[in-house]
Amino acid sequence: MRILIVEDNVSLADELTADLKRAGYAVDWLADGRDAAYQGATEPYDLVVLDLGLPGKSGLDVLREWRAARVQHPVLILTARDHWAERIEGLKAGADDYLTKPFHPEELQLRIQALLRRAHGQVNQAQLSAAGLQLDEAQQQVIKNGESFQLTAAEFSLLRYLMLNAGKIISKTQLHDHLYDGESERDSNVIEVHINHLRAKLGKAAIETRRGQGYRLVEPNA
Amino acid sequence: MTSLLKKLRLTPLLNSIQQRLGLGLISLLLLVGLIFAQLGLWIFDQGLRRYFTGQLQTQSETLLAALVRGPNGIELDQQRLGSVYHRPFSGWYFVIDFNGQQWRSRSLWDHPLSLTKEPDSGVLYDGPQQQQLLIHRAQFRRFGKTIVIQVAQDYTPLLDNFRRIQYMGAGLGIAALVLLVLLQRWLVAHSLQPLESLRQQIAQLQQGARSTLETDVPSELKPLVEQLNRLSHHTEDRLKRSRNALGNLGHALKTPLAILFSLANRSELNSHPELRENFRQQLQHMQERISRELARARLAGEALPGAHFHCARELPDLIATLQLIHRRDLHIHWSAAAELRLPWDREDILELLGNLLDNACKWAQQQVQVSITQPVDSGYFEIRVEDDGPGIQAAEREQVLSRGTRMDEQVQGHGLGLGIVRDIVEHCGGSLGLQQSSLGGLAVVIHLPANSAA
Repeated sequence: MRILIVEDNVSLADELTADLKRAGYAVDWLADGRDAAYQGATEPYDLVVLDLGLPGKSGLDVLREWRAARVQHPVLILTARDHWAERIEGLKAGADDYLTKPFHPEELQLRIQALLRRAHGQVNQAQLSAAGLQLDEAQQQVIKNGESFQLTAAEFSLLRYLMLNAGKIISKTQLHDHLYDGESERDSNVIEVHINHLRAKLGKAAIETRRGQGYRLVEPNA
Repeated sequence: MTSLLKKLRLTPLLNSIQQRLGLGLISLLLLVGLIFAQLGLWIFDQGLRRYFTGQLQTQSETLLAALVRGPNGIELDQQRLGSVYHRPFSGWYFVIDFNGQQWRSRSLWDHPLSLTKEPDSGVLYDGPQQQQLLIHRAQFRRFGKTIVIQVAQDYTPLLDNFRRIQYMGAGLGIAALVLLVLLQRWLVAHSLQPLESLRQQIAQLQQGARSTLETDVPSELKPLVEQLNRLSHHTEDRLKRSRNALGNLGHALKTPLAILFSLANRSELNSHPELRENFRQQLQHMQERISRELARARLAGEALPGAHFHCARELPDLIATLQLIHRRDLHIHWSAAAELRLPWDREDILELLGNLLDNACKWAQQQVQVSITQPVDSGYFEIRVEDDGPGIQAAEREQVLSRGTRMDEQVQGHGLGLGIVRDIVEHCGGSLGLQQSSLGGLAVVIHLPANSAA
């Protein structure tokens, strides 16, 4: 999952980036509203954490611009403006959630997880579950038939992406786009290695390879 | 005209000016009218009396000419007297004294008419049959003797006429007065029309139906209207600026707080759970304090005359926001009359309802209900926010309400978060109560006085 953080306070952005990276997300950071308006509309982000008081262009204007251009990625507004009139304005501009500063880092994680699940059609579930698997995002474990397997950070983020897109064929390019931030080297072998590690833990049939197309997470008895 | 008068009675401002002008006009007209009418009549009366006295003098000379020397001495030649002196109580009388001899007109019958001295001019004397007589007394010398001739004329018919004129004058005067008063009322109402329309506009301003006063008014009112408009713009502008400044301050304080929260979460602190907990508590405390004080400072209260909260327009957006934030299978119902407006600042009311509903959504299982009504003739607006959550035992409600009277006693976020709600309600001069909801949970009932903003 690739997340864009738009936040002009460097210290907070550092903290957020570190937190989200620990949670297995690929994170890009921008501080200027104009950059965000452009990059948010061109890169395939899965979610954007958007501050409202930005230099260059206000967060609300950026958001309106994205929505007017039919950029549909979920947007979580993260702001110090905690009044209801402002929240209403933010959600009217097209935000999917609104979190006010200061916030508990766990709360932000939960909101991001919920938004991602919702964006992939999994509404109102406490845990991400797909293809007979349950993902414990806090512990970075996967549970299959009551048995839990510890995952590495890379395996965790790969499996999360596959589970959110369960049943769909995911190309390697797509995996690259969504699992690595803008500065990472693109190496298809790395993904193959992680897929193999996951197969070792979940069983060979759990992830199907479509030659020339990509990978697909399948139901065990489907 | 009656509808106009009724309208005037309904408008206190006009009424008082109207009454003052009316009362002044009536008393002035009455006074001047009475003085002039009475003075005019009196002058006319005196003139007439002088004129008639002159006539009587002529009569006395005629009578003198009627005294002729006859066979038996001096006689009064009856032929030369007018017939009016023969008819009893005709109103024309004379008495002639000559050398111990006295002639009286037959008309006088047996009424005495003898004055020993000169009558006062213009004074009326009692005559026969309640007649009021003007008397002229003349002395002549004739035939070597003094002749005293008194001639009298009845003045009663003229007095009767005067009285009739007085009655007629009074009648006409009253009619004229009524006409004048009505005309004056109409004139006043007409020329005060701009004031009346201004009054209506100010009422609309207070109800939030308009934001400025029309400047198309007579030149006398223009400075007033412009000053009011300027004042209201100024207040609005200042509120906006101070809110902006508060927003910036909030941003400046809350972003570092967010960083500190995040730092407290660092794995380096894993081995010092107590330290972390301490950090968090202090940060939490700071956050609550900052939020509450900033929210309080943002309240517009009753500063804005044109401010209003349009229920049917704002509630759906607020509820959509709540639904998005809480993302549960919550049914949030709202009810308010289509054109109901609360005469307070929109953001204040949004803050009030947002916090109440947010709370209700936290506790509710499935149902949240908000209704805003203005009970007929009650003089207040009622806001009811209800949920089907666990509610609060009757015995504990008092405690919940009294909590938060002091900031540091309040547990925000974990309790009811009624702090800012209480602030807003107090600001609006209203009252807050907790009840058992028919949905099963808590019902927060708020009454806001309808006229406090007016």
